[in-house]
Amino acid sequence: MSAGTLGVLGLGLYLVVLGGLAAVAHRARRDLSPADHFLAGRQLGVFVLFLTLYATAFSGNSLVGYPAEAYRRGYAWIMATAFMLAIAVVSQMLVPRLRPLAVTHAFVTPGDWIRHRFRGERGCVAATVVVGVVMTVALANFLLAQLVAMGHVASQVSGGLLPYWAGVVGLAAVVLGYETLGGMRAVAWTDVLQGLLMFVGLGAMLWWVLGEAGGLAAVTRAVAATRPSAVMVPDRQACLNWASTIVLVGVGASVYPQAIQRVYAARSGQTLGRALALLTFMPLVTIVVVTLVGVSAIPRFAHLGAIEADAVLPRLLAAWAASGPFGAVSAMLVFVAALAAIMSTADSVLLSLGSVVAGDVLGRSGDDPRTTRLGKQIAATILVGMTSLALVPRLTLWRLTELKMELLVQCAPVFLLGLHVSRLRALPVLIGVVVGTLIASAGVLTGVARIQGIHVGVLGLVANVAIAVVGSGRRS
Amino acid sequence: MRPGDETAREARRRRVRRALLGGVGVLYVVSVPWYRGPDTAPVIVLGVPDWVLVAFCCYVGVAVMNAVAWLLADIRDGEEDAP
Repeated sequence: MSAGTLGVLGLGLYLVVLGGLAAVAHRARRDLSPADHFLAGRQLGVFVLFLTLYATAFSGNSLVGYPAEAYRRGYAWIMATAFMLAIAVVSQMLVPRLRPLAVTHAFVTPGDWIRHRFRGERGCVAATVVVGVVMTVALANFLLAQLVAMGHVASQVSGGLLPYWAGVVGLAAVVLGYETLGGMRAVAWTDVLQGLLMFVGLGAMLWWVLGEAGGLAAVTRAVAATRPSAVMVPDRQACLNWASTIVLVGVGASVYPQAIQRVYAARSGQTLGRALALLTFMPLVTIVVVTLVGVSAIPRFAHLGAIEADAVLPRLLAAWAASGPFGAVSAMLVFVAALAAIMSTADSVLLSLGSVVAGDVLGRSGDDPRTTRLGKQIAATILVGMTSLALVPRLTLWRLTELKMELLVQCAPVFLLGLHVSRLRALPVLIGVVVGTLIASAGVLTGVARIQGIHVGVLGLVANVAIAVVGSGRRS
Repeated sequence: MRPGDETAREARRRRVRRALLGGVGVLYVVSVPWYRGPDTAPVIVLGVPDWVLVAFCCYVGVAVMNAVAWLLADIRDGEEDAP
């Protein structure tokens, strides 16, 4: 049996299991309310919550985009461990304050918090809508990154039997199917399967990569011989970029709408604290591994172009599959794990997109079953739009992630400052978000991604926070 | 347990949690090799460049301290209006 046929069989088996889980989740639903569809009736326990947070945070970018970036930057990509850890650190400012309010006031979307915090103030509705729109654009971008990664991996797992476009379109349809059928329950339960696959797959991958190269020291020596800059101490600009990325991702990802909705969906505060305590260790066993995998590819594939490097992981796995029957089966499992990581992020993003647009941008009621229906229709429409964009990838997976974070980070002050600064007012917060977003967008449109290594989005965040705090101070 | 004991215990937990998060901040600053000469050839320790090992050790410390801080966090299931 060829590696491609084996890959198609593995993929088929995985999709059948996903379908079964979605059907069970569909039967487990209690009613048609948005809280049941988008938050699984607020009953997620420690194990499911931990794995769904893990599978959601560690996306296709982590498994496909991050080895590619480690290939491009060398050992300096250890910074990815720092910024993924920073998400669980910055969340310390968010979760203990937001959770009690979410339970008391039955929040469903991120905008429910904004409406509650600034109720009756001038600019409250506009702030809710603007934050909803910024989150929607950021999430749509994130979805696009997942679809691109899906296409790459599906094409590789099938040894080319499934073309890139078929991977994008087919798997997008599968994600839409189980998300529509089972809502958050289906998403969380499939995340458990996907999280476990990812964890096991990465362990196997590291074992092969290091074994093949003769150990970690041999990998480093080969990298130093092929591209010395990949092991050198980073220069000042790279260090600034390292710090800037910690801020960008740590702050930006802590207000992922899908993560905020998991804060709402937890069974209890204690459950949430335990799940987040477990999650904090995952960058050490996930991102360190993908960094080593990417770095080990430097001597193996010496001169890949920027976009080409996004296929580093699939290329490594193809080499593993060609090494014999054991390699073929193991590589297929890792391929499926990578696909699982991508699909688990895509499903969470899609679910959040539907609820944010319906609830926050269009202002639909949080306890009306018609909101659930509208959210599903919106999710389907956005997915179709993003699928068509994904068919011709133009940016690297990491650049797509940066763009998303530069927008998303502008929403953070509404949550992080809003929860801790009592004098904060809606209007300055709104102006701050708009100015920060304009600065970040100007950077994107003019092609100036970073200044001295610092992301334009981080500079926008500084302006955003200054306007929100100073503006609120004057009013009080 | 008397209410006063409970309050003192809560205050101690909050102090420990704040100290842990302060420690996390320090580890983050140390993890970025801004204090090293740029483009210098590193020493290989345990199979990786020394500055990578320093960063990794810092991140292990961050994970442990942050996890303990989460376990000490008081996340309630209601009330508490903001901020």
